[in-house]
Amino acid sequence: MWWRSASFIMDRQQNEAALKGESSPNPNPNPKISAYYETRAAHHGVVTSDWLAQAQAAIGPEPDPEPQPRPDPEKPFSVIDEFNNWRKQPHLAEAVAAIRALAAVIRWSEATTMMQLEMELKKASDSLKSWDATSISLTAGCDLFLRYVTRTSALEYEDFNSAKSRLIERADKFGEISYKARNVIAMLSQDFIFDGCTILVHGFSRVVLQVLKLAAHNNKLFRVFCTEGRPDRTGLRLANELAKLDVPVKLLIDSAVAYTMDEVDMVFVGADGVVESGGIINMMGTYQIALVAHSMNKPVYVAAESYKFARLYPLDQKDLAPAIRPIDFGVPIPSKVEVERSARDYTPPQYLTLLFTDLGVLTPSVVSDELIQLYL
Amino acid sequence: MPDVQTLVNEFLNQLKKRKIEGSQATAKQTAELLRSVISQQRVPHTNQTTALINAVRAVGEQLIAANPVELAVGNIVRRVLHIIREEDLSLATAAMAGLGVSAASDDEDDVERGENSVLSAAVVAAAARSTLRPPSLQTLLEDTSESAAAPHTSSSGGESDGRSRSVEKGSKSRKLKHDVLEAVNELIQDISTCYEQIAEQAVEHIHHNEVILTLGSSNTVLEFLYAAKEKQRSFKVFVAEGAPRYQGHLLAKELAARGLQTTIITDSAVFAMISRVNMVIVGAHAVMANGGVIAPVGLNMVALAAQRHAVPFVVLAGSHKLCPLYPHNPEVLLNELRSPSELLDFGEFSDCMDSASGTGSLHVVNPTFDYVPPKLVSLFITDTGGHNPSYVYRLIADYYSADDLVVKRRPTTGS
Amino acid sequence: MGPPKKSAARVSEDPDELVRVPLQAVLLADSFTTKFRPITLERPKVLLPLVNVPMIDYTLTWLESAGVEEVFVFCCSHSKQVISYLEKSEWFSQPNFTVTTIESQNSVSAGDALRVIYERNVLFVTLKVHGDFVLINGDTVSNMSLTQALIEHKERKKKDSNAVMTMIIKHSKTNPAIHQSRLGTDELFMAIDPNTKQLLYYEDKADHSKGTLHLDKSLLVDNPSLSLHHDKQDCYIDICSPEVLSLFTDNFDYQHLRRHFVKGLLVDDIMGYKIFVHEIHSDYAARIDNFRSYDTVSKDIIHRWTYPLVPDAMNFGNTAMKLERQGMYRASEILQSQSAVVGPFTVIGSGTKIGNHTKISNSVIGEGCKIGSNVVIEGCYIWDNITIEDGCKLQHAIVCNGVIIKSGAVLEPGVVLSFKVVVGPEFVVPPYSKVSLLQQPIEEDSDEELEYADSTSAIGSQVDKSDVEIASEVDKTHFSPVSELGMGGAGHVWSTCEGGHEEEWRHSVAPIPKDKILEAIKTMEDDMELTHDGSFLPLSGELKPNSNDSDDDDHEDSKEDSYYFEKEVEATFLRAVHENIQESHLNLEINSLKLSYNKLTADCAGAVFYAMMKFALDTPHSSADSLLKNVQLVFTKWKQVLTTYLIDIDDQIEIILKFEEMCSESAKEFAPLFTKILHHLYNEDVVNEDAILSWEDEKKDADEADKVFVKQAQKLIQWLKEAPEEDDDE
Repeated sequence: MWWRSASFIMDRQQNEAALKGESSPNPNPNPKISAYYETRAAHHGVVTSDWLAQAQAAIGPEPDPEPQPRPDPEKPFSVIDEFNNWRKQPHLAEAVAAIRALAAVIRWSEATTMMQLEMELKKASDSLKSWDATSISLTAGCDLFLRYVTRTSALEYEDFNSAKSRLIERADKFGEISYKARNVIAMLSQDFIFDGCTILVHGFSRVVLQVLKLAAHNNKLFRVFCTEGRPDRTGLRLANELAKLDVPVKLLIDSAVAYTMDEVDMVFVGADGVVESGGIINMMGTYQIALVAHSMNKPVYVAAESYKFARLYPLDQKDLAPAIRPIDFGVPIPSKVEVERSARDYTPPQYLTLLFTDLGVLTPSVVSDELIQLYL
Repeated sequence: MPDVQTLVNEFLNQLKKRKIEGSQATAKQTAELLRSVISQQRVPHTNQTTALINAVRAVGEQLIAANPVELAVGNIVRRVLHIIREEDLSLATAAMAGLGVSAASDDEDDVERGENSVLSAAVVAAAARSTLRPPSLQTLLEDTSESAAAPHTSSSGGESDGRSRSVEKGSKSRKLKHDVLEAVNELIQDISTCYEQIAEQAVEHIHHNEVILTLGSSNTVLEFLYAAKEKQRSFKVFVAEGAPRYQGHLLAKELAARGLQTTIITDSAVFAMISRVNMVIVGAHAVMANGGVIAPVGLNMVALAAQRHAVPFVVLAGSHKLCPLYPHNPEVLLNELRSPSELLDFGEFSDCMDSASGTGSLHVVNPTFDYVPPKLVSLFITDTGGHNPSYVYRLIADYYSADDLVVKRRPTTGS
Repeated sequence: MGPPKKSAARVSEDPDELVRVPLQAVLLADSFTTKFRPITLERPKVLLPLVNVPMIDYTLTWLESAGVEEVFVFCCSHSKQVISYLEKSEWFSQPNFTVTTIESQNSVSAGDALRVIYERNVLFVTLKVHGDFVLINGDTVSNMSLTQALIEHKERKKKDSNAVMTMIIKHSKTNPAIHQSRLGTDELFMAIDPNTKQLLYYEDKADHSKGTLHLDKSLLVDNPSLSLHHDKQDCYIDICSPEVLSLFTDNFDYQHLRRHFVKGLLVDDIMGYKIFVHEIHSDYAARIDNFRSYDTVSKDIIHRWTYPLVPDAMNFGNTAMKLERQGMYRASEILQSQSAVVGPFTVIGSGTKIGNHTKISNSVIGEGCKIGSNVVIEGCYIWDNITIEDGCKLQHAIVCNGVIIKSGAVLEPGVVLSFKVVVGPEFVVPPYSKVSLLQQPIEEDSDEELEYADSTSAIGSQVDKSDVEIASEVDKTHFSPVSELGMGGAGHVWSTCEGGHEEEWRHSVAPIPKDKILEAIKTMEDDMELTHDGSFLPLSGELKPNSNDSDDDDHEDSKEDSYYFEKEVEATFLRAVHENIQESHLNLEINSLKLSYNKLTADCAGAVFYAMMKFALDTPHSSADSLLKNVQLVFTKWKQVLTTYLIDIDDQIEIILKFEEMCSESAKEFAPLFTKILHHLYNEDVVNEDAILSWEDEKKDADEADKVFVKQAQKLIQWLKEAPEEDDDE
């Protein structure tokens, strides 16, 4: 009846495939619902910011958390368990947790040759990816890690053990970098926040929160407009955090963005993934905001760590793997009425001004350049 | 030889008093000053590069602070720093070419806020190449690290070049300085000849019976148009006068003297005349890392007019104008507000500015520069050829290294 | 501080000059006035911060960029402070720019200073080179280029060796109401020859109540063209030739640079020295003479008229200052609360803390200040290390270093708080008051001309004490819990001396209060009113004949004049009647008579009236009735002529008085007809009711003899008073 892109069909097929028996030990009960967003919801429900602060303080000065000892030598090593362990720290991004988990895989692997090790890694990575098929950063992080680790040149020249230890080191380092990425991004973006500016933020991105925290710490004078971020109302959470920093915050409902856009000086968003064209995939509503900002000549800045760069090239919104999440309207909806439950959208690169990453400040066109270089 | 410090002070003075005008002159003087600094700097046998870099940084910091709006100074300082690193690297690779395989290199995977960097003992050529490129995913992936014994020192990025090489250094101690000086001389040469190199490309861009619009006066544009005239292209030029200094009048005079048909218009008439124009060619004060242009005041308006009427907006810029910084708030931070006496006669208006009788409400603003966002620029013509605004970051990667974005003298011990 | 050798010097532009000699300048670091007291009791004026930079830095920076290579700084008061400041700063270590200090304790004027310089020099004069130098005060801010002025000066010197000085002037309008320039100095009158630019007349203390200037006729004789200016401002920057020094030495009573030296030279025709002017247009130059110019020049600097001597480029090794929109200058490390509103055209120094909901606008704030919450600061100049507690209100004040203003205090416009004063909580400092920890020096009649307190010498020795001594002196003033400045305050409010109070609002930082301006405008208009005339005359400057302080001579002269005038008017009138001249022509003739005799309209009215009545009288008549008829005829015909001169009520009263006089003295025949004729005049609208009534009023206190006609007219007056409505109907 109405025109859909071909990818719609593919999505449906994929979904059906997903439903038909899961071989991987996916703890996710309902594959229709994006585990990614579930996780985040869980975090936001459970954790208070004090806990966050404490956790951060506890972990803070220690640059390299102790590699945890093998929990139970008897139990076969499960990367998912490891992953979940890491994930429990709410300020840790999922991809970083995955990376750490994969590093642990190397550490506790019992392989004796490089090929074996590589295969183990691949298997672990696949299982991680399938744990949540919708999370782009997870996929991208795993891919990058694999390339990072397996691209060590001169590995052939050494014996296995030293190669393995070097791999472990590099893995740890990569984990380190990813972990520290947020701080680097925060420092890079400081200059772009000038005194007296008004920033519009969408959703709850920990990177963006870090940016704003650092700016407040540096005694910059600015105020923040926060969208509500339905349906999970993450904006309220962000507003909470900012209020604690004594930053003037104003909450808007999602539809009020165009209304207030003329007062805004810049838009700051995080990203779930950065795609090859230089565009981003982020929480639903980002595309809308970017369109409005572009039409009113306001800059849109994206804060994204480098491990989120993914090998995707969506041509339109439906090219993405859908990430579904439940939306509660508060009143019962008749079953005939369809609900658009997608949790994220794709923003094309022409609506973005700059990306702040741990590699530096980049224009969207640089991203594609980087990715091409990488995968050549 | 006059004392370096006196030279530096003199130059600082001139910068502070805004006596030097024009980015080419400033760039040339900065380069010459840094050349003297380097040639007079005594370098120890070990850690040569660091010594040179620190010396240049110290002077550079002062120069940049004297006139933050004059970006050419910072550009040249960073170019020189990049030259030092490059020369150092090429010498090292030459020395190491014969050596074996034990591989280690430094890694510079982070920007100016120095993160971890690892000291290593030897250099591998391919990996070493990557140290000079801005951090990218690829560089992340190509890093190799020493065996676990290597300590994780979090020294500042500047130290990354100060590898603890021992014996190999002796032979190249004098060579480094010599090479650096040679490269700096080349740089000075480039700056002086940038006009010719840009003008050579004029023929490809200006065709017969075209109408060209420009604003104010720029030496680069002048040479560009001359070159096209030499090659027997016939074209007409509209010159917008460029208030309040009216340098467009000078340009028009010169063009007319050379036989080009010139028309002078006021700045406000640009929108009216743009529909008759085929191309807009202007000079720039500086080109920023995102492709934005810091140009004489009035050019943003011309760029908007050009976009509106789909007229290509071409910016001519020598490579010394390329700045690796991003413009945040350029209208305020990168603008020089000059004396209002260029606009108004003080005597006539002194009664509006008499705060005693409460009539002091007349405020006159005289900005020198305008910021033109990258989406309005169609083409950059530099001495290396014609480029897209989104390609500027590549050029920057060629000329500058990431560590030098913030020119500050770092403490020599790791933080 | 050693003896500087004053080598003959100039920038050599001629190719045939083999020796290149540097350009020199003499900087007087003492203004020899007391306008900046009480601040200058503790610190020399040239070290006071102007937009957070000491004034002398502006002058030295300008001299350096203008190409001067050697500067002699003459210090008198607080010389030690000046010298130690210069030593600590970078000025002693500049290449191509040497600064030498000359110290003297006994000088009281600029003339003295120049004499000292002349004495201390070892003059070596090589015959070829003439040494010109730039004479300037240490409180001048300028960005002009000296090349043009120097070239002109030298050209003139070559042609005429009597051209000793070139003054720099700038076009700047004065406020016409209060006769004051933007910089708080009095209106300056200069006569300049537009062709040669020679200065011919200079007057800065014109007497505005008189409103006249006296120019010597010889000026017009000697110079074919002359232009008189009152809109020029003297920048006090002079390019002098070495003869200037010897001139000062020869004339011991030359004290002030302008009032004595310049005026003396202009008046003196024996030696024939000439002074020339050079006008600058787009460059800026101003001298800070009093608090008003401090305010104005600060604002000019903030508005960037003095580019490149602007706050973001004038940091000498201090933290950099950044310029933001709306004229805001911010240094680094400022802690500003989110709710504070820091307004336009404000400069904030580094390390300053600003509390919540504070409003600051149009002010200059120095380094290290602590400003509390809910403070309102408007148009103030706040120097370094000052603490202002919550809830204070400061308007148009100057606050020096180390002051503590406790919570809730209010500073009214024009207040000057000197160093380390403490203002108690909730205290309101009255406007235009000067507060200092030091006592006000007892001033005997200071020589107003020179503005130097004669007791300066007594203070002078005190004043040069080191800070330690001053501090100890200050300690001695006991800090009573309740002092003149409220609870816990410290300081003395200086009383203004008589005659000084008048000037307070002129020379203060605060803008001139509206009522004073209105007052001034009103006085100006009053002056103009007298000249306001009928349609024929332009508003020329017709001055009243000196009624108040004129001598008897004048009076007698005017009397004779009146007589002749009346005679002429009469003759004209008669001629008009006989030759049937039109009324308008008659008016013209009478007007010209009025101009030539310098009379008022009232006089004209009286004269015309007299003429008419006389004519009526002279026409043959037989009885009183026919006389009356004659009068009526005359008036009907020539009424127009008379009413032209009856503009306001004074004129009409004048007529009535004249009539009275006629009746009693010259034309007694009219006496019985007084009332009737008056009534007739009333009917003809020649005089109106008010005039008659006021005439009656006036005569109330007169002698009986004068009241004769009043009595006669009593009936008429009664009728007038009782029947106002009828009048209206009529």
